[in-house]
Amino acid sequence: MINYAYYPGCVAQESGKELDNSTRFIAKKLGINLIDMPEASCCGGGVVDGFDHNLKLYINGRTLALAEKLGYDILTVCNTCTLTLSEVNEELINNPESLEKTNAYLSKIGLKYSGTVKVKHLLYIIRDEIGLDKLKQAITYTLDGVKVAPFYGCHILRPSSVVKFDDVENPSGFEELIKALGAEPVSYIRRTKCCGFQTILVNEVTSTSLAGNAIYEAQQNKADVMVTPCPLCHLSLDTYQGVAAMNINKKLSLPVLHLPQLIGVALGGSYAEMGFSRHNISFRAVMSKIKQNKLK
Amino acid sequence: MEFTVKSYRFNPEIDEKPYYKEYVLNDFPGMTVLNALMKVKAEIDGTLSFRRSCRSAICGSCAMKINGITKLACKTQVSAEIEKFGVIKVDPLGNMPIIRDLIVDQEAFFDKIKEIKPYLLGKTDHIDDDFKALKEGEKIKQPVYYKIEFQNLTGNNDTPNCILCECCYSECGGVVANSKYLGPAALAKLYRYSEDPRDNDKNGSRLVNGSKPAGMFDCVHCQACEEFCPKGISPVKVIVRMHEKAIKNSITFSKGAKHIIGIARSIQETGRLDEIKVAVDSVGISGILNDLPVAIGAGLKGKMPPLRLKLIKDMEDIRVAFKDLNLEEKHD
Repeated sequence: MINYAYYPGCVAQESGKELDNSTRFIAKKLGINLIDMPEASCCGGGVVDGFDHNLKLYINGRTLALAEKLGYDILTVCNTCTLTLSEVNEELINNPESLEKTNAYLSKIGLKYSGTVKVKHLLYIIRDEIGLDKLKQAITYTLDGVKVAPFYGCHILRPSSVVKFDDVENPSGFEELIKALGAEPVSYIRRTKCCGFQTILVNEVTSTSLAGNAIYEAQQNKADVMVTPCPLCHLSLDTYQGVAAMNINKKLSLPVLHLPQLIGVALGGSYAEMGFSRHNISFRAVMSKIKQNKLK
Repeated sequence: MEFTVKSYRFNPEIDEKPYYKEYVLNDFPGMTVLNALMKVKAEIDGTLSFRRSCRSAICGSCAMKINGITKLACKTQVSAEIEKFGVIKVDPLGNMPIIRDLIVDQEAFFDKIKEIKPYLLGKTDHIDDDFKALKEGEKIKQPVYYKIEFQNLTGNNDTPNCILCECCYSECGGVVANSKYLGPAALAKLYRYSEDPRDNDKNGSRLVNGSKPAGMFDCVHCQACEEFCPKGISPVKVIVRMHEKAIKNSITFSKGAKHIIGIARSIQETGRLDEIKVAVDSVGISGILNDLPVAIGAGLKGKMPPLRLKLIKDMEDIRVAFKDLNLEEKHD
């Protein structure tokens, strides 16, 4: 068992509960022990920096300090949480002034941060620490014959000076994982582009067109399903898929999965366990195909 | 080493549609992609068209997509690209109309640079929301600077180092989504002038104008501008600094500013991001009604977030942070 301080982020605890459930499902199967942090706050959704930079430092410094107190690295399942916590971690480690003022706040609430925690996304924990061989051994349903379009999104790749998991120009971690599950990764240009979620409440038409274009390109490349490591991307790609289709004037109908849901299916998770009924676009047709591929 | 340059070609006067043409070359130590293109033009195909000038990553002319990523051709080594991609595939910059081959129409980009008034504003007698540039013959009355202001002027996150190469603009998710969006280069320049102590913008007109639709709050935070700037500038970081400055100066009429405040207030109240509250704060009830089909669809799937969120454990810690920073309902 590997222990991690689990930081699901807000969406996985609210509208995207299926992400939290499927993460817990695969963690159990892969020997990952998720230690909950009920004290952890929202990271600020990637925009709280624009309200007050010190607030971003304080609330995320507090989350890092909570994990440090537990003695574990942080496991994230959201790109934006990953970037925000990583940015604050970098600043606190490299800027003594920032660390000093954050620790002045933390001392008032009985905490201290010394910079020992690492922030890691589930995708790269599976690739780098669990290992794809162990993942392959755990598979009970191969995804053979399923064409999967990986949608990386932004904050798991950029800026590469802060999130250093993959090659920012030509990432491969997601594709390696998809291949390990027996599926075929679909190659398309927009796999590393923006889903537009950050401005979905500011300018819905332009924002959803980004998600729409990515889905359309994946569909044109014969994808059966799109998968994302970020619940914010998932909202843009799945919940707003109908709006996106109208805005780009194209027919769109592509199921979009959270990363642990795709893994969960290969590890034997049922339609209900993975929470697929909570998605806008049905995954049932692809799921029935996969259910014929039982290995053991 | 022998390698292939695969170049986008399109001459609207003779070609019906764009195509790619391949050229086989031999490299030399330290050969850049620009060296390769100049070799093609000099020795194989004189019709290949591209912009170039200084060959030293300072004029910003030779920006183009190299194996899908926008870079300066003169700053990109052939050997590194071949090692990673096995080919040198070149395309024109994104987000701009193509004139011929690798040459794009830059007019919209420079119109946006002009729109932010990229010069120091002179003294004005009237306080209004309009910009006032120096008139002919009018002189700037030089103020006395404090040392701290000089530091600010010369070191404002390196934004004065921008060479207008358009790498950020070509990769910008915000411009892909909305061609009217000012884009990272113009907004970095807006920041550069709004931080300049010599600039006579006493009424905050730069930030007011920058907060209008298609301005700084339309940034999608995709981080591409920072990632792909060949001069190490981070437009997205300075855009966020302008967000903070605008909100702290009560320039909060934009949906984007309301969205940011909504998230901060939600954290202050519950420690969490309250999806319903943030949506109402950002777009108001009328905006929510426009999105009713999406909300109903999500609700039917059981995706509706709870109306009243459970507070995080030790919520008092978060209140202490807001109190310490003097951020309690200050901007409401």
